[in-house]
Amino acid sequence: MATKAPKNPHDKHPLSKRVLREWLHGYLFLLPWIFGVSVFFVYAMVRSLIFSFTDVQIGGEAGLTITALANPWQNYIDVFTTEVNFPITLGSFALSLVLQLPIIISFSLIIALLLNSKIKARGLFRMIFFLPVIIATGPVMNMLTAQGVASVPMMADMTSLLGALPQFLLDPLTDLFNNLIVILWNAGIQILIFLSGLQKVSKTLYEAAKIDGASGWESFWKITLPIVKPMILLNSIYTVVTLATGGTNEIIELIYTVTNAPTKGYEYGMAMSWIYTLIIGVILVIVFLLFKEKSDKKVVYEKRRVTLR
Amino acid sequence: MAIKGNKVNPAKFEPSQIKFYLYLLPLAVLMGAPIVYIVCHAFKPMDELFAFPPKFFVSNPSGINFTNLFQQAAGSTVPFSRYVFNSLVVTVAVLILSVLISTMAAFALSKMRFRGKNMMMEINNLALMFVATAVVIPRYLTISFTGILDTWLAHILPLIAMPVCLFLIKQFMDQVPDSLLEAAQLEGAGAFTIYLKIILPMVKPAIATGCILTFQQVWNNTETSNLFVSTESMRTLAFYMNTLSGVGSVQGQGIAAAAALIMFVPNLVLFIISQSAVMNTMAHSGLK
Repeated sequence: MATKAPKNPHDKHPLSKRVLREWLHGYLFLLPWIFGVSVFFVYAMVRSLIFSFTDVQIGGEAGLTITALANPWQNYIDVFTTEVNFPITLGSFALSLVLQLPIIISFSLIIALLLNSKIKARGLFRMIFFLPVIIATGPVMNMLTAQGVASVPMMADMTSLLGALPQFLLDPLTDLFNNLIVILWNAGIQILIFLSGLQKVSKTLYEAAKIDGASGWESFWKITLPIVKPMILLNSIYTVVTLATGGTNEIIELIYTVTNAPTKGYEYGMAMSWIYTLIIGVILVIVFLLFKEKSDKKVVYEKRRVTLR
Repeated sequence: MAIKGNKVNPAKFEPSQIKFYLYLLPLAVLMGAPIVYIVCHAFKPMDELFAFPPKFFVSNPSGINFTNLFQQAAGSTVPFSRYVFNSLVVTVAVLILSVLISTMAAFALSKMRFRGKNMMMEINNLALMFVATAVVIPRYLTISFTGILDTWLAHILPLIAMPVCLFLIKQFMDQVPDSLLEAAQLEGAGAFTIYLKIILPMVKPAIATGCILTFQQVWNNTETSNLFVSTESMRTLAFYMNTLSGVGSVQGQGIAAAAALIMFVPNLVLFIISQSAVMNTMAHSGLK
């Protein structure tokens, strides 16, 4: 070996000057972000967590009147005992997530594969498939769904075939078919992420595989899929987050209504939001465990060792 | 992947491509539909707007919705141009600041090593999935406490830290090969030079995507105008457009359709400008 790999500075001198300098630089680069996130997210989230254990009245001298509750968990108990809609909506959301996630991921992977092949007007097609991303925002989307543009006429017949299914399965399925186009419209960013992964794959790999007698199908499973696997994880997380926090989500709407309701109001909505956030967190952990790379593979990537000064 | 001989990018139409078009064309029609619809909808006269079953295309295009919109706007106390100006200032400021902040933070989180790095990423992920409604009132308290209610800052500051942007850009930065940074390091480049000269140009597609996402969120944002601003002349175009569509029940529908088209045009312009960057994702990453 001509050059020796630079030693990992963390191994021997845990707090040498170089390491300290990298720490300092790291935090310097992070500083504006830390400011923004701590003031408008972390602080706000902590406040909302505190509020969720109290009784908040909007109005009064300081803008808010906060009184302690006899049982601090009262709001959380109420969410499950008095709000009949919450567990039901949560269940149907989870079910539709399970149905939609594979559809979005496989659809965007297929489209990305098609868009990565050598065809005429490739640029134009790529543009068309990304376009929905820039219009798929709240008001326009609501207008489109209200007008029934979002459903494929054929799909209505499909749902009548499913009539034999139990109600709790039927609803999300009907929903799925009715909103199939909307679901596909949401796939723009995912397509883009897959494309970026596919473009890194060297053409010579496929040529070599072809010479060795691999069919297109085989090289998809043995070359393409392993390479885009990290992208699948990234896309799944992104999809879950957008579906869970998007404006058209039923639970978000429920939380919004509850928060602005005159009777129980704010603190109750806070408790609900925190429960919901925890549930999304659990879902994300499950997704992560499903698609994460095997740890022995990871070692290869971890080997870099330069210290940025 | 249709690799035909040495012709990697065939100059002429090849029969082998037909099967791709067979899939792509119908899907492209589906994906392009909403845009056609928005344009058509804005030009529909009253009777077509309320036709049942709803029509997709417009048969007698008319500018009546736009006339109504501008009449409505002319009658308001604050000139229309003021809302446009407000929106432009806020959007440009947020766009520049948030991209700068996200790329810097993503660089630190992706390529540097220091204690607390993973915790920062976890905080970002938590912020990513937190329900926006829940933080509205605490944010209001913070903003009123710092005394920036009713100013530009009330529009700008809550939006500059975008968890989605950081998340996406960081994932792209993870793909930049470390050997490239090592090489720059050997040539004597410092962290800031590496950030500016290597990292930024290489994650351009991610930045462009982040820009589009940020732009959308800011441009269409009515929340800050609604909550943190009480002077009419400090509110944004999105907020104004929202109030317009709520005026008359019948006329409002048409105005809303016209307003949707007007709000949508800047999105399209930005997209066309940045599309070459977005689409050439990571094609030329410098190293094989």
